[in-house]
Amino acid sequence: MLSWLDGNLVSMVDGVAYGLLLFTLAVGLSLVFGMMDVLNLAHGTLYLAGAYVAYALSDGSWLGLLVALLVGIGVGVAGGGLLAALTQPLAARGHLDQALLTLGIAFIAADVLVAVFGAQVLPTAPPDGLTGRTSMLGHSYPVYRLAFIGIAGALALLVYALFERSSIGALVRATVADRDMVRATGVDTRKVLFGVFAFGAALATVGGVLGAPILAPGPGVDETVLVLSLVVVVVGGLGSVPGALLGALLIGQVQTLGVAVLPTYAPFLLFGAMLVVLAWRPDGLVSLVRRG
Amino acid sequence: MDLRNRTRARVALVAAAATLLTACGGGLGSEESSDSGPVKIGLLVPQSGVYKALGDDMKNGYELYLDQHDGKLGGREIETATADEGETADSGKAAAEKLVKQDNVMAVTGVVSSAVMNGTADLFEEGTPLVGSNASPTTLTDAKYIWRTSYVNDEPGKALGAYVAEKVDGPVYLLAADYQAGIDEVTGFKETFLAAGGKVADEVYTPFPTTTNFQPFLSNLEKSGAKAVFTFYAGGAAVDFVKQYEQFGLSDKVAHYSAGFLTEGGVLDAQAAAAEGTFTAMNYSADLDNDVNAEFVKAYEEAYDAKPTTYAMASYDAAQVLDKAIEAAGDDLTSETLNDAIAEVGEIDSPRGPWSFNDNGTPVQTWYLREVQAADGGFSNVVIEELGELG
Amino acid sequence: MSPVLVRAVVRRLVGAAVLVVLLALPWLVNAYAISTVSRILVFAALAISVNLLTGVTGLPTLGQSAYFGVGAYTGAIVSTTLSDVGPVQLVLAAGAGALAAAVTGPVAMRARGVAFLMITLAIGEIAYVAAGRLDAVTYGTDGYSGVPAVVPLPGIAPLVIDGLVYYYVLAVFLLLYGLVALLLRSPFGLALRGIRDNEDRLRAVGYPTTAFALAAYCIAGALAGAAGSMWTSAQRFVAPGDLGFDVAALALLAVIIGGLGSMWGASVGAALVVLTRDYLGGYVAGHGLLLLGVLFVVVVYAMPRGLSGVRRPRRTSEVRA
Repeated sequence: MLSWLDGNLVSMVDGVAYGLLLFTLAVGLSLVFGMMDVLNLAHGTLYLAGAYVAYALSDGSWLGLLVALLVGIGVGVAGGGLLAALTQPLAARGHLDQALLTLGIAFIAADVLVAVFGAQVLPTAPPDGLTGRTSMLGHSYPVYRLAFIGIAGALALLVYALFERSSIGALVRATVADRDMVRATGVDTRKVLFGVFAFGAALATVGGVLGAPILAPGPGVDETVLVLSLVVVVVGGLGSVPGALLGALLIGQVQTLGVAVLPTYAPFLLFGAMLVVLAWRPDGLVSLVRRG
Repeated sequence: MDLRNRTRARVALVAAAATLLTACGGGLGSEESSDSGPVKIGLLVPQSGVYKALGDDMKNGYELYLDQHDGKLGGREIETATADEGETADSGKAAAEKLVKQDNVMAVTGVVSSAVMNGTADLFEEGTPLVGSNASPTTLTDAKYIWRTSYVNDEPGKALGAYVAEKVDGPVYLLAADYQAGIDEVTGFKETFLAAGGKVADEVYTPFPTTTNFQPFLSNLEKSGAKAVFTFYAGGAAVDFVKQYEQFGLSDKVAHYSAGFLTEGGVLDAQAAAAEGTFTAMNYSADLDNDVNAEFVKAYEEAYDAKPTTYAMASYDAAQVLDKAIEAAGDDLTSETLNDAIAEVGEIDSPRGPWSFNDNGTPVQTWYLREVQAADGGFSNVVIEELGELG
Repeated sequence: MSPVLVRAVVRRLVGAAVLVVLLALPWLVNAYAISTVSRILVFAALAISVNLLTGVTGLPTLGQSAYFGVGAYTGAIVSTTLSDVGPVQLVLAAGAGALAAAVTGPVAMRARGVAFLMITLAIGEIAYVAAGRLDAVTYGTDGYSGVPAVVPLPGIAPLVIDGLVYYYVLAVFLLLYGLVALLLRSPFGLALRGIRDNEDRLRAVGYPTTAFALAAYCIAGALAGAAGSMWTSAQRFVAPGDLGFDVAALALLAVIIGGLGSMWGASVGAALVVLTRDYLGGYVAGHGLLLLGVLFVVVVYAMPRGLSGVRRPRRTSEVRA
């Protein structure tokens, strides 16, 4: 048992890092879906845009990373606002029309990004001091991934506190539950909706800026991220921050520890895990905690 | 009418319809034999999707040869029809059909993906020569119209097997992308490696192209206690793999041998220092010391501001094969005579050194062991020694 | 004449005109164009299968590519080992598709909406991976080649010319189209629409809605399997990419473009998608997806109810994913 733990420790830690990365990607998608009822298939594009921002602006210095983060947030807010404005007229028409529109936008954006950044995968160096590797009980592990666990963990806590504990969060959750009721109390729900879209999108681009050294930008990464986010969101439960966290951490472990233990079945694990969860709980893991 | 007569009548009906269709254009593409005017060549390479970077290299290699020869091959004006191979067999097959059936090209060159090669084999075997410059599945044998200026998919592994068995004292781990080319590569490696007394620690295939985090696989590799690893990765996966191989500390512990695609071209710039010390087997390196190569590298760098890759070199050679064959076919130039001329094309004076086609339509050529070394501000694949001749 | 009658006559005339054009096509265009049209017909058959679930029954799916693949590989295996007669391959492929749907369907039936979409996506992805993995059956990622030319009926010579293969594919397509049209007019078809519009009410009045939905799922599986067999006959090659995520997604999008619930809409939607990506995309090589993206955006805003809804009054109930 002890030797098993020792042998798989790195995988478990890496599962946490990977899971937190998935959380920053997926939580925005989940909120936008839960709140605005918009299925945003351009979500992976936001991550990719953020990762390209990191590639273009971060030069290995901490200032570079800070600039990249600020620009990334700007891109996210702008992108989120634009997507909110474009999907607003389709609000009454159901998810499939939104899917058609947002996937169309994703295709166009992917073509533009390849034209600008080329077709190669572009690895991005983390800032000095976070490069290299450290020793973890005798196993090598990249410093940046450890740092990422700290940063993304803090980000997850912040998002959780904001949505589950603050008054703004209460307003947002109320809007998710009953938009008309909130509107009746005199709140401009459209502002809330735009705000959440911009916030969710900015989380994805920040995820891209911070995640670039782990999941580097390149053609097709948008689709990878989109599919992973969708899996995390439905496994966790739509529209729920704790659900997204739960789903992300589970999928993180499935993709690292699960793969390490069952390498032969690696390609089946992600969707197999999702099938099992959905067959058992069609409303996602969060339904274990919250009912109704 | 009894049954047999009815059947015969039906056959006759279909035959009549077929004749009509052929006459009216909906059937076979009519073969154009022309002794003047431009010759149409199809360039089938990915211009979108995950293989676009490879496709760009191949396009560059082909176009460089053409530019150096005033847009002519075999003294004839060339009109190049380009089609996007895309990522899948489906997109590649559609593009190939466009070249052969709509553009009526005389011959085709390019093709990155083995699946596209298999999917289009029947189409080309109907009578359009394909001078492929990358994809080369091991199952493709006995083709009459399909030539490859590259290699056979299992040759980089084959070239390396005996060498690794001799150099490495202990078990070797086999790790490759989970698709046919990866399986072919590992199979080729095992063939010569096991014959030379090598011992395999484990053989693992990683999902392709979905694997971006190799940590769990690297963790298992570390646990196995293997002394060396043989891998196959190309493109984006190669970048991720090499980066993480270094980040998780394996580059210090386990010697890394691979098929040359791992560090070929743009991916090496992306991998940079992480790739240092990696050994690869390939039929080419930009620093090969011969006159043809020196000239080729110089011209390529001037034109594209990058070092040529084996993909670009093989495409350059494909243009050279077409050049010689079109000239040899002379006035009576058809797809058929062109194909016959390719079979007789003889030795190609290539940047990789001279080579010629074997009976399988693939090159008989020398393989090189290369090591990634730091050189003038960047990194390059430096030839360490020859691994012998294959093909 | 009453407006209803006029519309019916116009519809017949348009249908007849389309049929005449389809029949005349091999005499009008080149071989590449005709093989593209064959591909369109196969893709349209797949879109009709997706439409049966998504447009008619209200179950958005990304999994029909799996049954399409089952049918395509079944067709390939039957053609190389059992019979090169098309209808034999077609029937066995449809059966295999239905069987696969019957085995996997109950898992999906537990969910509706986006959860259903994601379960079917998982089915599709697992089928895709399995196709690459099961070397012994599928020849792995390099694909299943060596499929003999299809024999349309016993005793007829194999079809090697694109124009003739096209006629075979067209005949199968028209047959499938007719069968599905009949199905949709039956009480069963009405019940499926009822599931889409208000499943709870239908269940309350005593319909076994889950069983009906599962039946629709199996029929759609058979249809996708048949489309797979058409694909094998037209391409004479099958590779895992033929049942990838792109295929599933584009089939669903074709149905949305066509207007949910409309068979001819789904068919025209499929044609638009393939023409945009492969045919127009061929002229600006490498930018097929860009063109598709523009198509999607334009359709969403310019045709709120899809191609088939352009002159139709808005339905009160919209399909919600």
